[in-house]
Amino acid sequence: MQPFDMRPDAVMRELMSYGEKLSHGMKNLMEIGEISSGVTPKTVVHREDKLTLYRFNPSAERVQNKVPLLIVYALVNRPYMTDIQENRSTVRALMDAGQDVYLIDWGYPDRADRYLNLDDYINGYLDRCVDVMRERHRVDKINILGICQGGTFSLCYAALHPDKVRNLVTMVTPVDFQTPDNMLSHWVRQIDVDQVVDTLGNVPGEMLNWTFLNLKPYQLMGQKYLGLLDTLDDPEALKNFLRMEKWIFDSPDQAGEAFRQFIKDFYQRNSLLKGDLEIGGHPVRLKDVDMPVLNVFAEQDHLVPPDASRAMRGKVGTRDYTELSFPGGHIGIYVSGKAQKTVPPAIGKWLDARS
Amino acid sequence: MSTANDWMDGWMDAQRAYWQSWANLARRGTPAPEVPGNPFTDGLSQWWRTLAPMAPDAGKEVFDRLIQASQGYFSLAERFMAGADQADNGMKALDDWLDGMRGMWDDWSRAGSSFAPGMTGMPDFKGLTTFWDLPMDTWNRLAANVMPMPGDFTRAFHPDGANPAQEQINRFLSIPAVGYTRESQEQYQALARKQMDYLAATQAYQAAFGKLGATTTTAFQHALRERAREDKPIGSLRELYDLWVEMSEAAYAEFVMTNEYQTLYGRLVNTLLALKQQMARMVDQSLEAMNMPTHAEISTLQCRQQELRRENLRLNREIKEMRKQLDALVEQLATAPGHAPSPEPAKPTEAAPAPKPRARATKTTTSPTGATPRKSR
Repeated sequence: MQPFDMRPDAVMRELMSYGEKLSHGMKNLMEIGEISSGVTPKTVVHREDKLTLYRFNPSAERVQNKVPLLIVYALVNRPYMTDIQENRSTVRALMDAGQDVYLIDWGYPDRADRYLNLDDYINGYLDRCVDVMRERHRVDKINILGICQGGTFSLCYAALHPDKVRNLVTMVTPVDFQTPDNMLSHWVRQIDVDQVVDTLGNVPGEMLNWTFLNLKPYQLMGQKYLGLLDTLDDPEALKNFLRMEKWIFDSPDQAGEAFRQFIKDFYQRNSLLKGDLEIGGHPVRLKDVDMPVLNVFAEQDHLVPPDASRAMRGKVGTRDYTELSFPGGHIGIYVSGKAQKTVPPAIGKWLDARS
Repeated sequence: MSTANDWMDGWMDAQRAYWQSWANLARRGTPAPEVPGNPFTDGLSQWWRTLAPMAPDAGKEVFDRLIQASQGYFSLAERFMAGADQADNGMKALDDWLDGMRGMWDDWSRAGSSFAPGMTGMPDFKGLTTFWDLPMDTWNRLAANVMPMPGDFTRAFHPDGANPAQEQINRFLSIPAVGYTRESQEQYQALARKQMDYLAATQAYQAAFGKLGATTTTAFQHALRERAREDKPIGSLRELYDLWVEMSEAAYAEFVMTNEYQTLYGRLVNTLLALKQQMARMVDQSLEAMNMPTHAEISTLQCRQQELRRENLRLNREIKEMRKQLDALVEQLATAPGHAPSPEPAKPTEAAPAPKPRARATKTTTSPTGATPRKSR
């Protein structure tokens, strides 16, 4: 048998169709206008340096949980991913599930922020945001939802300040940074991080982009764009694609000292799991995480493999530990239609039962 | 009766006219593009070159990437169509082409990858090699952002041991610096050594990707034969392209999880940063000589400023805590039995000095940022 069943005229039609789609796409592109993101109305409740703490404007009839929920996003990429468009908003879905949602936007660090370390971020900025919310709502403890690196931060915070955290939800959060399938971890083992930070100061966002794209270079830098062709004639779909692209390449530089500490302590030494992590001179022990924990992870996550998150099981001090596995990827868990329908409602229900 | 080739020639003319008409429509105010010699890949590039200046910023980069991805897709089409009139429906032509490509990758990895096929007169592989070279290409762009030299400058050098000049260069760089400018000579020698280290690391990395390209090409050919054997022929160009991506991604994923890759990658990053660090050192020396602030000095100031901010935050928090305690004490005193209320209760003001011993006592439980981790137990 032959490996091909392609008539030349069919191939020609395929190519012609390709050209036509490209042309229509170009027309749509010219008329696309501004790409907006971050759709849910919100109010600034606290500002400090580059950080902004937002509260998403709640509607009185929807909030049933009196304990506010703080979303802690990663330092890499921007937090508007959680509220990227009308029909793909984790924030909105959490609000629909009756939660009073706050979000930390870490901003874009510049060279003056180079000496911010993990202590500044976790025991400083994050702690002060938590205090602002506690004061505003007159509660001792709040609920925290940490995402990706923000989940790791939240876990450390909960271990250091258990008296301020009512419930902890972690999403696609690495705990074991050295699982055999963790590509990022494999790559950074021989990197001289001290030299990187001492030389560059802050670590450029482009460097992180390059690293993330190289996890699947042929799909993420090639095939994905051919897939775009099929939706180019739909202005709305094109807008959605461009919005996502904007987010992917919107990578803030990383404050040098925090980056140094994160790569060395977490990726190279795996200290959080081993139990010898210190932040600001204080030991961070997972067994001190004694509040209820919901650990949400994605089964096809190429950035944070599910085993990296599952490693939390049995390590945290709480007896109320729940796992929620989502059949999707690292980004799909916030934006896919299926995720929208299942993940935030499940989080809301879990929180309501414990708040 | 017309052959497939005649038909294709006719279509190519139509395609040429198609791209040309688009270019004509869009070229208002831009130089007229040449009629493309190769209607698929070249035509596409030319079409985009004409339209790109008019594209809005929001989507321009995306289209840049789409066009780049399309090059690979169209290359496949061209190769397939070149052999489409043959009895084996293009397999022989595609096979020959893939054999040629594998040979090229072998040469590349043997030669220390000092050339890029797309740039050195091997048009048959242009487009596809761009695709396989994606990781290296993006690295070069990144390096160019970090370094004051173009991303592909390494292609002009041959620092491997095979190059006889290398030994001479190393010998030259080892000559002890003497005389009045000794320190400066040493700095330049160090710079040259680090530059050679980076070049060697880059080329080792590229050579490894050459090897990977050859492996992927073989896997792709095997996959095509397997489809024939299983009687599951490929029905469209897109399917062919997707198979090719799948093969590339699988071979890549396996390679980058090896210890060999970990070492290559570590060396690539470390040598680049070592070179950059040496450059920064030399720039600082020049700035110092001109009595201007150096990067190192600014960095020291930033570090001290951050320490001061931490201290400031810690003190603010302590003052707040003490104020609360003081308020509680005043309230307690005021409500104590037999205590005559004072007309004006003492209230701490902003200027009230914090009691030093107290501040020292709390320091042991306070983090440098001013936050005090408190356990609920």
